[in-house]
Amino acid sequence: MNLAHIHLLLNHWPIIGSFIGLALFLVALVANSDDLRQTSLALFALIALLSIPTYMSGNVAQEVLKGTAGLSNALIQTHENTALLALVFMEITGAVALLGLWQFSRMSRPAPGAVARWNSPAVLVLSIVTVGLMSITGNTGGAIRHPEILSGQETTSIVGTIGGKIVPATSYFVTEYSRWVWPTLETLHFFGLILIAAAIGGLNLRLLGFWNEVPVAPLHRLLPWGIAGFALNIVTGMLFFVGMPYFYALNLTVYLKMLAMLLAGTTLLLFYCTGAFRAWARLGPGEDPPALAKFVAASSLILWLAVIVLGRYIPLTQDNLR
Amino acid sequence: MDPLLLLKDIEQTSLSLWIRESDSFYSFWLILSFHAIGMGLLVGASVLIDLRILGLAPDLPLAPLKKLYRFIWVGFWIQVVSGILLLIAYPTKSLTNPDFYLKLTMVALGVAFMQMLKNRVFRDSSLSETVLMAKGRVFAIWSLIFWAGAVTAGRLLAYTYTTLTAA
Repeated sequence: MNLAHIHLLLNHWPIIGSFIGLALFLVALVANSDDLRQTSLALFALIALLSIPTYMSGNVAQEVLKGTAGLSNALIQTHENTALLALVFMEITGAVALLGLWQFSRMSRPAPGAVARWNSPAVLVLSIVTVGLMSITGNTGGAIRHPEILSGQETTSIVGTIGGKIVPATSYFVTEYSRWVWPTLETLHFFGLILIAAAIGGLNLRLLGFWNEVPVAPLHRLLPWGIAGFALNIVTGMLFFVGMPYFYALNLTVYLKMLAMLLAGTTLLLFYCTGAFRAWARLGPGEDPPALAKFVAASSLILWLAVIVLGRYIPLTQDNLR
Repeated sequence: MDPLLLLKDIEQTSLSLWIRESDSFYSFWLILSFHAIGMGLLVGASVLIDLRILGLAPDLPLAPLKKLYRFIWVGFWIQVVSGILLLIAYPTKSLTNPDFYLKLTMVALGVAFMQMLKNRVFRDSSLSETVLMAKGRVFAIWSLIFWAGAVTAGRLLAYTYTTLTAA
């Protein structure tokens, strides 16, 4: 198995996943079902996380296919460009979905409050755009290896053209515009780390039983700051990648970090941002958390620690997958 | 005595050489990892305290936050030990860089303000939370500023140095 294989294994999930997410979301809206709403919002957030290594592995697939006769570079480029746009919108959809999801985890779920009201229309519009972009990405991707579906218009796709302008512009800004852009992004990446440590770390500490003097629900109110830190790091991380893809794409440590990040993000999402949290939200001062809460909190801590350490090791293993 | 000679002597000790030049997974990059984790503990705990004092999550009782100072100190000492090891590996790079002294100053101010905060907000439990938060407000704001400054100055060390080694 080579690394192009990873891209093939991953790339169908964001496309089909966003379709299913949208379908579920529509049913949830029509049926006014909280459970279906939570499921579809969680699905959007999960797919948003999965889309990151999917995009990155595309670079590896391109590397592996280099030199293969009969492959159109124009088609590959168009696919990469549309993929970037699909990724951007998927991340925005996932972030907005996560914020909408979080409200379900609060102990006293308010009646459709301010957050609920703007969130559903926003997720709806964003997910429709995302599904459209994902379809185009899937189509242009398939066209690379399946000449039988070519319509001849792939390389002139408007989406591809827009994406084709964003990549070099971003790369220029991040690496050439000023020598202080990259360090600023790195500093922001550290700020995100600190927010995650404060908000998610604090909650984990309580759920491990090491801070039982504190009631859980108010601590949980700080979680959006941790999510903001997470979002900041995904944005700065993607800017690093688009700026210098060759530094990351063939680096095993990067993919291990993405895996740890995926698992950490999924834990955050499933246990702290859905109705599943409400049982733990009821824990008051002096009440020791149940075993499952301690397990989840310990896993979360270890996974985020792994993300930090793997991140620090990235420069050491550059190109070790070549 | 020529300070540059002293720096060169440090750089040629076996410890310095090992951290700086060995290919081992357990040298430079592991020390850096500890430095990142220490930062997460030190600044993360401080930020949590500061944000609460500034009014975030008002239903969170103030008094139990005193326990977070344990993590501030654990984080601080991890930074001191890992920091000294990094300094031993690259003494010239750090000590000839003004940004390094700026960073140390910011860290000192951050720690000092967190300590002053502790004395003002977490000492007298008979006062109401509103009063305690008011007492700590200015210190919390400055603490956040100093920590942001320390992290930024620290990150910029890699981009502002002029001489890597004395050799």
